[in-house]
Amino acid sequence: MRTLLEGIASAASSWVELRYHARRSKRLVVRNGQVEESSSVELIGVGVRAFVDGTFGFASTTDLSQAGIEKAVQVARTSAEAASAAKKKRIERLADARLATGSYPLQTADPLEGHSLEEKLALVIDTDAMVRARSDLIVSSEVSYAEMVDEKVIVTSDGASVETTDAKPALRVLAIAEQSGDQTRGLETLGITGGWTEFLGTRSPEDLVERAVQLAVDQLRAPHATGGAAHVALDPQLVGVLSHEAIGHTVEADFVMGGAITADKIGERIASELVTMCDSGASEHLPHAVGELPIDDEGVPCERTVIIDRGVLRSYLHNRETAGHYGVAPTGNARAYTYADEPLIRMTNTYVEPGETEVGELIDGIQDGYYLRGFGPSGQADSNAEFMFGVREARRVRNGKVGELMRGVTISGNAFEVLHSVDAVANDFRWEYAAGYCGKGQAAKVDDGGPHIRCRLTIGGEQNA
Amino acid sequence: MPETDLLERCRNAVELARAHGADRVEAFAQSLETVNSTIEKHDLQISKSQLEASIGIRAFVGHRVGFASTNDLTQVDAACRDAIGLAKASPEDPHNVLPDQEAVAPVDGLFDPAAETFEAADAVRRTAKMLALAEDIDRRVIVNDGWFDAGIRHVAVANSHGLAVEERGSLFTYGALATARDGDLVSNFDFQFGATRCVAEIDVERPIRRVCESALASLGASRGKSFKGTVLLAPTAVSDILIGTLLFQLNARNELRGRTRWKDVGQSIAVPSIDLVDDGRLPGGVATASFDREGVPHRETPLIENGVLASFMHNAYTAHATGIGNTAHAAGTSRSIPAIGPTNLTLRPGETTVEEITADIHEGLLVRRFSGNADPISGDFSGSAKAAHLIEGGKLTHAVSGTLIAGNVFDALKGISGLSREVERVFNLTLPYVRLEGISVTAN
Repeated sequence: MRTLLEGIASAASSWVELRYHARRSKRLVVRNGQVEESSSVELIGVGVRAFVDGTFGFASTTDLSQAGIEKAVQVARTSAEAASAAKKKRIERLADARLATGSYPLQTADPLEGHSLEEKLALVIDTDAMVRARSDLIVSSEVSYAEMVDEKVIVTSDGASVETTDAKPALRVLAIAEQSGDQTRGLETLGITGGWTEFLGTRSPEDLVERAVQLAVDQLRAPHATGGAAHVALDPQLVGVLSHEAIGHTVEADFVMGGAITADKIGERIASELVTMCDSGASEHLPHAVGELPIDDEGVPCERTVIIDRGVLRSYLHNRETAGHYGVAPTGNARAYTYADEPLIRMTNTYVEPGETEVGELIDGIQDGYYLRGFGPSGQADSNAEFMFGVREARRVRNGKVGELMRGVTISGNAFEVLHSVDAVANDFRWEYAAGYCGKGQAAKVDDGGPHIRCRLTIGGEQNA
Repeated sequence: MPETDLLERCRNAVELARAHGADRVEAFAQSLETVNSTIEKHDLQISKSQLEASIGIRAFVGHRVGFASTNDLTQVDAACRDAIGLAKASPEDPHNVLPDQEAVAPVDGLFDPAAETFEAADAVRRTAKMLALAEDIDRRVIVNDGWFDAGIRHVAVANSHGLAVEERGSLFTYGALATARDGDLVSNFDFQFGATRCVAEIDVERPIRRVCESALASLGASRGKSFKGTVLLAPTAVSDILIGTLLFQLNARNELRGRTRWKDVGQSIAVPSIDLVDDGRLPGGVATASFDREGVPHRETPLIENGVLASFMHNAYTAHATGIGNTAHAAGTSRSIPAIGPTNLTLRPGETTVEEITADIHEGLLVRRFSGNADPISGDFSGSAKAAHLIEGGKLTHAVSGTLIAGNVFDALKGISGLSREVERVFNLTLPYVRLEGISVTAN
C-alpha cells in the first residue's frame, strides 16, 4: 500500500496527502449477566486531501485500487477548486516540518489480536458478575469492553511516508444502586494504548468494580452539596479533564484563530507560576496513556508541547496550516478519526507537570472545602474558558480531614481564573486512562492527567431558597 | 458509483450466513453519498465528498447472537463467519429474535431527485451564503463553525424470515455555531440548525438569523441573581435538560434492565398537559423513514398521554421479552446491532404565547441552552444556563452569564406550569417553550 500511495502522490500535480486507514474494532457489552452486544466492525478506506490555491478539498473512497484512489484525488482537487473560489482568506502556506518516514509499530509483546474473543468475553462476563455480587444494594450492572486496532499508511507529496500500527483497549464498569426508590450510579473506566498484558496490568478489573460499587452505594446516603465558592483539592483525573476541556480546547490554534480567549496572549501570565501544562504524543511520567501517538495524520512527529510554562502561555497546538499562519513549527496535533475524516487539530495526552507538595500536605491546607475526584457523568467548556463539569466523587474536607460524600456536585468557573487560584501542586502523577472519546465533529482517543492540585472554584448544588 | 443492488447483497449475505451454519440471519446494508462544505473561523474551511457502502450481519445460532460489519463488500463472507463466531462465543438469550415480515407502506417525499445532481460546488455556494448573511446582520458575530451537508442514503434490510425492504432518502442539513466579540467582551456560543429533504426548500437564512440574534443578545451579560423558582426553557434547553432523561426512561431495554424509575404503562409521570408522541412517518421529519433498523414499519406511537405513561419504545428484542407489541423503534446503522431510539418526537404545544408566559413571571430566568449534567437515572440535573436572560416583572431585563441551574427532571415534569403555543424543530424534536417551577438558580 505504501508503494502504491507513494506512486500516486509523486504523480500528483499539486500537494496531496493520502492516508490508508484500516480499523478493526470489537465491542462486547454485558448487562446484568446478559450479553447485549458482541460485535466486530471493519472500516477500511483511503482519505485524500488536496491543497489547491490555498484551499483544502477532501474525498474518501473504499475502492483501494490505483484507479479508485486516483479518482478520489481528482474529486478532492475539484472540491478544493470549488471551495477556493468562495474562500475569503486563503491559506498562505503549509508550514515546513520534519516529515516522518519509516515504520512505527506499536510496542507490545502481547498484542490484543493474540487473545481470543472467548477470553475477552469471559473477562466482561466475570467482571459484570462481580459488580452484582459485591453488594445487595446493586440492582443493575453493565460492563463493556471495546478495542480499536489501527493500521495506517500516510504519504504526502512533499515527503512524509510512514506506516503505523496502534491498539487501544478499554473497559467500562457501571454499577447502579437502589434504595427506597432512589437510584445512584458508580462508573469506573480504564483505557490504554498497548497490548493485553499492559491493559490488565495498568488497573485490575477488581479495582474498577470495587470503586464503582462503593461509589454507587455511598451516594445513596449522601446529601446534596450547597452551592458557592470553595477551596478544593482536585484529583489527577479532574486536573486532566480541566486541562483538556477548559484549557486545551482554547489553545487549539484553529479555535484561537476563531477568536478563543487565548488569542494574542502568548507570553502572558495566564495561570499561577506553579502551573506547567503540556500536550504530548508520548506517555510522559507513566506508560500507556490512551492518547499515545508517534506520528500525526499529516506525517508530523507528535512531540511534547509546553502550553503553559510556570504560568506563562507559551504555545498553541498546531497543524501545518496554523503553524504556517503563526510562523512556528507544527506540533503534531493533526488527527483524523477514520479514513473518511480530514485531519483536525486535536489533543493527544494533555497534563499538568507534577510540583513539589506531598498530597497529604496539600489536603491538610484546606480548612473548609472539598476533595473532588473524577469527572462525570458529563460537562462542557466554552471558548471563553468557562466550564462546568460533573464530579464523580465529592467529599467534604474540614480542617484537613476528608469526610463525608456529597451528591450531584458540579464545579464551574473560568478555567484561567481557576489556574490563577492554584496555591499548591502535588508531586504525584496519574493519567486518567480514559475510556471515552473527545468530540470535535470527529471523535478522538485522548488522555489527560497530572498531579493533585489545590485551587478555588464554584461548587454547584441545590440552592437553599 | 453508488450501490444500486443493496437489497440483493442483503439477500445474498443471509443465504451465505445460513450456508455457514447460522440458524437465522439479518443483513442491513447502507450506502451513503455525501457532499459537504464547512465553515471554521468565519471562513469557508473545506469541501468534502464521500461514497461508502457497508453491510452489517446479525447471525443467530440457536438464541445466541453475534454481529459483524464491514465496508469492504468483497469481505461479506468473512463478516458472516465473524458474526457466527461471535454468536457461538455468547450465551443463549431466548429473546434474541428477528421480526416477522410486515407490509411496509412507503413514505412520500423522502427523496428529491434533484439531490442526485447536487455537487460539492453547490454545497460551497450555500455555505458562502451563510457567511455573507451573518456579516450583513452584524460584523461582531463570528461563525466559529458551520456546515452544509447534502446526502443520499440508501438502506436495505433482509432477514431469514422473508423480510426484504429498501428505501432511499435525501437530506440536507445545515447549521452554525456562533459567538459575538466586541473588544474584550465574548458572548456564549449559540447553535442553530435547519434541515429539509428537498433542494427547493433549503433555507439557510433562518438558522443564521437566529444564531446571530442569540449571540449578540448574550454579549455584555452580567451577573445574575440567586433564587429558587421559575425557569422558562427555550426548545433547545428543553432538549438539553428534559429529553435525554425522558428517552432513557421510555426505552424498553432500560426498563427490562431494571434501570428506569418508570415501570408501568398507566402510571402518572407528569402534569396532565403533557403529551409526547413519536412518529416515524412525520412529514418532513429528519428521522422520517418507512421502516426501522430491523425492517419493521414505522407508525405513530403516543409515549405520554395527559401526563400518563402510554408506551415504552420497543424493538424486536424487548417486544419479545415483555410480550408487548413492537413499536418499530429499532435504531442504528450497518455498523452496530439494533438499539432502541426515537424517530421524530413531538411535545404537544400549549395555548399561550411565549410573550404571555413571560408576562406572567414575576421573577424568573429564561434559558436558551444548557450545558451540564442531566442524570437520566436519578433525574438530577445541574449546569450552566447559557444565553440566559433574567425575567423581572414580566419582562426580559438583562442577559446573565455564569448562572447555574439545578433541579430534578421527575419533579420538574410534575411541576410544569406552562407550555408555549410556539414550537421549534431541534433536529428530530418538535418542542415548545416549557415553564418550570422550583428550580434552583445560583449566580456565580
